[in-house]
Amino acid sequence: MSVDGVATHAHPSAPGFPAGRRPGPWHPSRQERQEALAALAFLLPGLIWFLLWTAYPLLKSFWMSFFHWQILGGSTFAGLAHYARAFADPVIRTALENTLLYAVLSVPGQILFGFLVAALLDSITKGKVFFRVLYYIPVISSWVVVSLIFMYLFHSEGLMNYVLVDLTHFLPRHVPWLSQRGTALLVIALLGTWKGIGWSMLLFLAALQGIPSEVVEAASTDGAGGWQIATRVKLPLLRPMLMFQVVMLTIGAFQAFIQFYIMTGGGPMNQTQVFLTYMYKQAFDFYDFGYASAISFLLAAVILAISVVQMRFFRQDYEY
Amino acid sequence: MQSFGKGFVCPQLAKTVALGATALLLLAFFMAPAAAAAKVTLTFWHTYNTQSPEEKVLLEEVIPAFEKEHPDIRIQAQGIPYPDFHQKLITSVAGGIVPDVVRMDIIWTPEFARMGALVQVDRLPGFEAIAKGAFPGPLATCAWQGHYYGVPLDTNTQVILYNKKLFREAGIQEPPKTFAEFAEVARKLTKKDASGKTVQWGFALPGPWAWYFLPWVWSNGGAITDAKITRATGYLNGPRTVEALDFLINLYKEGVLAPTIAQSGLDSWTGLGQGKYAMTQDGPWAFPSLKAQYPNLEIGSFLFPAGAGGKSRSVVGGENLVIFKGSKHPKEAWEFARFMLSMKAQMEMATTGQMPVLKAAIQEPYMQNHPYYGIYLEQLKTALPRTPHPAWAKMEDTMQQAFQAAVAGKVSVKAAMDSAAEEIDGLLR
Repeated sequence: MSVDGVATHAHPSAPGFPAGRRPGPWHPSRQERQEALAALAFLLPGLIWFLLWTAYPLLKSFWMSFFHWQILGGSTFAGLAHYARAFADPVIRTALENTLLYAVLSVPGQILFGFLVAALLDSITKGKVFFRVLYYIPVISSWVVVSLIFMYLFHSEGLMNYVLVDLTHFLPRHVPWLSQRGTALLVIALLGTWKGIGWSMLLFLAALQGIPSEVVEAASTDGAGGWQIATRVKLPLLRPMLMFQVVMLTIGAFQAFIQFYIMTGGGPMNQTQVFLTYMYKQAFDFYDFGYASAISFLLAAVILAISVVQMRFFRQDYEY
Repeated sequence: MQSFGKGFVCPQLAKTVALGATALLLLAFFMAPAAAAAKVTLTFWHTYNTQSPEEKVLLEEVIPAFEKEHPDIRIQAQGIPYPDFHQKLITSVAGGIVPDVVRMDIIWTPEFARMGALVQVDRLPGFEAIAKGAFPGPLATCAWQGHYYGVPLDTNTQVILYNKKLFREAGIQEPPKTFAEFAEVARKLTKKDASGKTVQWGFALPGPWAWYFLPWVWSNGGAITDAKITRATGYLNGPRTVEALDFLINLYKEGVLAPTIAQSGLDSWTGLGQGKYAMTQDGPWAFPSLKAQYPNLEIGSFLFPAGAGGKSRSVVGGENLVIFKGSKHPKEAWEFARFMLSMKAQMEMATTGQMPVLKAAIQEPYMQNHPYYGIYLEQLKTALPRTPHPAWAKMEDTMQQAFQAAVAGKVSVKAAMDSAAEEIDGLLR
């Protein structure tokens, strides 16, 4: 073992490492105190960052949601008026429907295709890295850029209509994809699915490669075929990963903003508003920061409720 | 090195701190001469187009001329893209770090004035002269509750633009002067191919936005609210307004108006340039852009046609110069505003497509010989400002939603405007 501090302390069994501490009340030695101090020094920048840019704005906007907020002072107390207004606001209803629909349309596709691609990549031996990168490129591409590209593709005089109408005569006339609710949601969900497959793939791939080969070999010895191994052995082992993805992707779908903001702006007639585009409109078009804050906290409540339900649903009763 | 703590505190961190400090010192050293040369530095935020000559002329002609006249003032101009500008201004007001002078869309002035973010300028030296020399329409956009919170900087409006070649082909000699004549001309300019598919539309309303449909409402004698801006009922849903909007929507349903009114199809410039749309409407900035993109396009222009109940009217656009209350140098900022309103600065900017707000500018030879400013100046004589009210953004949104619903055929124009008027009444109360 190296005498150098870093190498020594990187090992969990090394003396002084918190994990190796005996149980009972902590009477820190001088060295331990120093280390705690060092840990704090390391954590402090992140902690300050979190407090300043996450915790403080969070609490402040919660506070604002109870006021008729004025930017330069003179705000008056509104009580629960903004929340009551949200419950009566038909656009909030539309936004909730659209957000749910977007989640339902985009989350299963991402997971399904993500899993398929991961399974394929797991089984090939050549070009693994190449395809992994290829499928991951949409994930790291800017939302703004891909939204603009999809807008171009699905413009009423765009490539998609050219192919579907002018070239193949598959459809009788040009579809104004982004100017009507149903098709706009479909196109944006398609974008969301396409962009998210790589993320799901990478996680599944890691999980698949983490399955011990002994388990698979044992099943094979017991006479299980490829399909049985996939569905009876691998899939149950991927369950925690599946749950993680469903929860994370659903939360992500509820937080959809850029793609809607750029591609439809919530229009026409607020038909394609989602929570965050409507919140943004209230805040930055109308300066109704109180109402906007209330909307964002309602969204938080909806996400929390859905996540709790999902976690219950996926609770693991048995372990391998 | 036994202790983690010690190792952390010692060399690396010290090194980083030392490096950072050195970098900061160096930075300060290089920036110092620039800051020390002038006593006062004004921050000027604007949305002049960085792609067109606008910003170039501002930075290379106008600002240097001002700094020569006022050697103790330095202008730090910062261009900000229009779509982000509003939010950036709101954020800076909320954060208390504001620019000194801002060139902002005329329609935002009442909002920021009501917020208490702007300096009242009507008692400052030289304001009287500026107010007397400026067009009344643009000047009115600086007013809020009987006081002025800025000066108009540039102005514009829309007129009807058309493709001269298509007019010749259809044998149209005279530009239409009334709604009825306009409808007739637009029908003549609409063409279908053998399969019944429209290949040429008579007119394209560039989009279902108030900026585009208001000239039609006003030209028919319609209105958004009463003169005192207390209510919309009886105005926005009044017979003249409804008739004007019905006029557009009926032509669209007839297939004479391009699908741009429903946010679909080729955009109005591309359609005009490609000969798919015979007419559209737009501001003076459309000319240089269209010329650059479609060198063979012959663009003609005429005033908005008048409806049965009114006379030709368009909508006033443009920018105002305002001084933010948080400015540490309001006096110097006002000097800069006065300079920008001088005939010299106004004419410099006029060469880039920014129409001057000074009445006397019409007599300048540059304006007299200009290929398309004439028609806009003519239209400006009767053009109206959008409602100068802090709730304008919401009013506009309400109107547009109603109009779009009527375009989509979901409700009648009358029913759509009835509920929009009721909603706007609530905003004005």
